[in-house]
Amino acid sequence: MTFGNTRVSLLVLAAVLLTVVTGNAHHAKSAKFDDTKPMTLTGVVTLVDWRNPHVHIFVNVKDQKGVVNWAAELESPIELEQNGWSHETLQPGANVTIRGVAARNGSRQVWANSVTVSGGKAVFTVKPPTPPAATGRPVPRGPDKHPLLGQENGKADGYWALPSSTVLAEAGVNVPMNGDGLLRNIADAPKVAPMQPWALALYRNRQVRFLQDDPGFLHCKPPGGPRQLQTPQGIQFVEDRERQRIFVLIGGGNNNFRIIYLDGRDQKGSVRGDDDNPLYYGRSVAKWEGDTLVVDTTGFNEDFWFTNGGLPHTDKLRLIERFTRTDFDTLKYDVTVDDVGAYTRQWTGGWTLRWVAGKDMPRHLCQDNRP
Amino acid sequence: MRAFIILFAFAIASFSGTSVVAQEGHPLKGSWVGEWGPSKLHSDDLLLILNWDGKAITGMVNPGTDNIAIKSATLTPPPSAPGDWVVRLQFDVKDPSGAAVAYTLDGKIENLAFHNRSISGTWKSARESGKFKVQRQ
Repeated sequence: MTFGNTRVSLLVLAAVLLTVVTGNAHHAKSAKFDDTKPMTLTGVVTLVDWRNPHVHIFVNVKDQKGVVNWAAELESPIELEQNGWSHETLQPGANVTIRGVAARNGSRQVWANSVTVSGGKAVFTVKPPTPPAATGRPVPRGPDKHPLLGQENGKADGYWALPSSTVLAEAGVNVPMNGDGLLRNIADAPKVAPMQPWALALYRNRQVRFLQDDPGFLHCKPPGGPRQLQTPQGIQFVEDRERQRIFVLIGGGNNNFRIIYLDGRDQKGSVRGDDDNPLYYGRSVAKWEGDTLVVDTTGFNEDFWFTNGGLPHTDKLRLIERFTRTDFDTLKYDVTVDDVGAYTRQWTGGWTLRWVAGKDMPRHLCQDNRP
Repeated sequence: MRAFIILFAFAIASFSGTSVVAQEGHPLKGSWVGEWGPSKLHSDDLLLILNWDGKAITGMVNPGTDNIAIKSATLTPPPSAPGDWVVRLQFDVKDPSGAAVAYTLDGKIENLAFHNRSISGTWKSARESGKFKVQRQ
């Protein structure tokens, strides 16, 4: 690697960072890249920037005008490490072929789905996450006979991930969206949920802007509501039976946690506390109905998107969430959305998550405005 | 090299200094500050406090000073995105004799997706008219 190459790459990195202040900061993949525009680049690696939330590879590519530097954006270090890559796998000077999709704005940036070094060895390929093999074990239960949502005492770590859907739509609605919640056809917007006219218009606006205004990415706002069960890093329940509460650790977003109270307290906030200052996770109280944990949450603020794809909500949002461990490996999640400020009626949706046994939850740290 | 250092330092500075408060609910909800002068009847400063109760937009103009309750407020979204979000506010201002003078503000939301979105347009009464612009705080 020459100093000149490094300098060019750092300049491109600086330019990438500069796009932050012009509105192209940390983002959903859909916000920045167009998955209908496949492209292939071949060139020489000049820099590997191995950092959250997305790894970047900078590559010198020859074209008709000479050599130009491209930025290839990849998944987070967590996903890359899960696919067997480390920060040392690819070194400056390597000849690579990158296959991916082009940036929407025509800049010299590509989302890399695969990186292959000369000779044909693939050093990174996006593989759809595969659920671990089902164990066939019965639902674990605690001393009170309720299903355990977290790990068993003294047993190996585990967490819930691999949601069967990463988008929320009313049950029974089947409209094509990608994993970020971006509709394939904007005409389907009214079908997703029974939105009031202003909410539908706002949802459409977010969609036609390819979700680039998502505060969960732009400003690392916490994933309140169902969205905390949509992150690729999953969630972990820590049950404090003595104090009658469950901590929900969230692997994605800004690595936050939510508290669900099972001590019979009322659904009301503290004066001069969360009663006056609505929260990202609201106030959650819960009780067991048979083998289902029913969680009632109010007191949300309006500073976040409560689901991938940008369905709007107001501070009148009330969620009734039902968590049912149907077998050792499966958590069924159903949510009823009640928000008279944004919707014309209550509606429900849901999905399932898989137990990832024997592993601690990966901790993906969103970092403000880093692309 | 010097240009590179300057560009890189600017990028890092920009990168590290951004922090905003989002408001992702009803686009009109919140406090808005700006100007609507000149006028013989009211000051140049304009403060709007707007709320959304799920059915109607309510609010106050210049609370604590002129203290004018909004009689009617509408937000008309575009039929398809992107498009103009049209705002109309109607209220009465009392003149020095105590007589009510009806005012109408017609505007459009700019930068809808931003926390500091603004509304700009025109105001008019039976006696005066002018332009206004307010920005969400």
